[in-house]
Amino acid sequence: MERLKVTLGHLSVRGDEDTPNKGREFVQCAGRLKRFPDSPDDVVIISALRTPIGKSRRGGFKDTFTDDMLAAVFKATLEKTKLRPEDIGDICVGNVGDPRASVSGRAAQFYSGIPDTVPVMSVNRQCSSGLQAVMNVAGSIKVGQTLLGIGAGVESMTMHRGQELDIPINPKMFENDKARDTLIPMGMTSENVAERFGVSREKQDRFALASQERAARAQKSGAFDEEIVAVTTTVKDKDGNEKSVTVSKDEGIRPTTLETLLKLRPAFKEGGSTTAGNSSQVSDGAAAVLLARRSEANRRSLPVFGVLRGYAVAGCPPDIMGIGPAVAIPELLKKTGLTVADIEIFEINEAFASQAAYCVEKLGIPHEKVNPLGGAIALGHPLGCTGARQIATLLHELKRRGKRAYGVVSMCMGTGMGAAALIEYPGPS
Amino acid sequence: MTQGDVEFCVRFPVHGNLKNWWRGVWQEQVSCPDSSVGCGTLFLLEIGPNGLVPIHAYDWNDGLFDVTWAENNENVLVTGAGDGQILVWDTTQPKGPIKAMKEHQKEVNSVHWSQTRADNLVVSGSWDKTIKTWDIFQTRSLSTFVGHEAIVYCVRWSPHIPGCIASASGDHTLRIWDVRRPDYAKTVIPAHQAEILTCDWSKYDQNMLFSGSVDCMVRGWDIRNPRTPVCELVGHKYAVRRVKTSPYAGNILASCSYDFTVRIWDTLQPLPLEILEHHSEFVYGLDFSVHKQGEMADCSWDEMIRVYTPKSLSHSLR
Repeated sequence: MERLKVTLGHLSVRGDEDTPNKGREFVQCAGRLKRFPDSPDDVVIISALRTPIGKSRRGGFKDTFTDDMLAAVFKATLEKTKLRPEDIGDICVGNVGDPRASVSGRAAQFYSGIPDTVPVMSVNRQCSSGLQAVMNVAGSIKVGQTLLGIGAGVESMTMHRGQELDIPINPKMFENDKARDTLIPMGMTSENVAERFGVSREKQDRFALASQERAARAQKSGAFDEEIVAVTTTVKDKDGNEKSVTVSKDEGIRPTTLETLLKLRPAFKEGGSTTAGNSSQVSDGAAAVLLARRSEANRRSLPVFGVLRGYAVAGCPPDIMGIGPAVAIPELLKKTGLTVADIEIFEINEAFASQAAYCVEKLGIPHEKVNPLGGAIALGHPLGCTGARQIATLLHELKRRGKRAYGVVSMCMGTGMGAAALIEYPGPS
Repeated sequence: MTQGDVEFCVRFPVHGNLKNWWRGVWQEQVSCPDSSVGCGTLFLLEIGPNGLVPIHAYDWNDGLFDVTWAENNENVLVTGAGDGQILVWDTTQPKGPIKAMKEHQKEVNSVHWSQTRADNLVVSGSWDKTIKTWDIFQTRSLSTFVGHEAIVYCVRWSPHIPGCIASASGDHTLRIWDVRRPDYAKTVIPAHQAEILTCDWSKYDQNMLFSGSVDCMVRGWDIRNPRTPVCELVGHKYAVRRVKTSPYAGNILASCSYDFTVRIWDTLQPLPLEILEHHSEFVYGLDFSVHKQGEMADCSWDEMIRVYTPKSLSHSLR
């Protein structure tokens, strides 16, 4: 009978194509951080680099085209990983404002020596474009289109800002409440969030102050040095004379006080609470993340810097689009079976202090876990770049902390959405 | 379950010339569905001009679960028996085994002759959770390796590292052993989340080990860094019963399964090179010929033994 039982035991598992969650259960380790089983088809991050973030219209990148910023991060990625340019399988560039984004991506690949045999595309998912580009490449890896690719993000808010205002709007949009709400300026959605959820001016300014202070501390301690690629470019003075400059530091960080912030005038609405001091800055910058199937990374002996463990995108009302992370992060945690306590760092984009502060409170995240190196209020928010930039900042900080940990990258999006990704730092190799 | 004969294992001999290839095959007879006792037979078969011809059959009063050819004597075979015995056979002797050694408390599921020139030892793995090494000229086992928490389904000597053994167990782990240290495994790899029925070393890379499991997967492991599998071959619909690496190409392996199929894999590709569906029951045994490139043999509970060269491997000949 025992032989019959043993043989029947061998038949207990049925191989089935339709088991997406097979093997996704945690490996249980009592009292320790939950651990996902590693698999050869995991999508892993090999490197995550970014340019400094320049001040729009006045900063070091004011005369730099998006393709030049992109080329800088592509080149740095190839140099750092020692990959041959032809080894890149696919490229996706996140961008919001460049009407020629796909062409810019193609040009950037050529400037950085990546041959024409390597394909490129662009994606626009508003402020999550940089993250979405990374996830598009991850998806391509998952379905076997490629084994290795770059997900990037770029934005020149100096050069591409508000062109869409000239494009005619379908009058029908004004007859549908939700469609009309997608046209509300972002600053007004911030006022809506502040009003509807009672986020006071002082709370917003305190949040903004923390962002500035943390970013200043991080910059001073050199915390950004490893993720930043210095870029040599040209700027024109007011007479049109070109001058070569090397941009190596984020330009938005500035010393301030709560008193100074509280004195600023509302920027979007009479009697409102959203000011230039507690909103994200208008900026230029680029970032690139190199992704690979784990088996491919192992085959090429590329050290695994991070592992993508989950991604969620969720919608919310367009007139309070800033609450996006408050809907996307719970979705992500549900999908992955983790809790807020399991996450070491939340990189939540600070489009506005109003929405960021609301999301953090709503989700019950301890403040010290959120944007420990500051966020977009201090660093700037080059729209299409931000998601990829956050991955770079997150992974380098987790690496500095030196132990295996989970981080979340999340942001709100215009038209009413939130995105959130779970990334594991696997620990020092 | 099944009535009648069921084949469990085939082995190409390691010696012999092209005209005279021996195959050691054993089978178990299940007398009735609820019987827990069967009889075993060790068949020797030869490929002649008219196909596969049985030239001798040795009966034993319990099932024979595995067979291995001696590396230093072309007439000697060792089998593992359901009654826990290690049996040594000499094909020049017409009757029974020339030696029987009983130490295992339960079925001996796996036997393997050492692959490195220095030592001529046999390793055995048993349902009693232990692994033992034997010198067939002695009467007692040399060492007993303890640590596995369930049935040891498969034991394999490393073809490269002297005195190194890999084992696969129902406790969901692969273990790597040093013959000098039977008290603990050198490496424990939690390789699958289900019983592991089989393993085999790469013949080209001394650090590569492959495992096949009830979870329907074959995984490849670099024993220096076993936290993640190096490759994962997914496709079998039921448990993988046996994996074998090709003696002719470092990236080729074959697996057979309870899903009635044999699959040929290139470990660098996610999909199998070929799926062979020439059996109508569980496929239990599988081997590559070391003498003729691409030739394989398999056996199944459908009582068929097949010797063939799969299409996907005949191409690589040229």
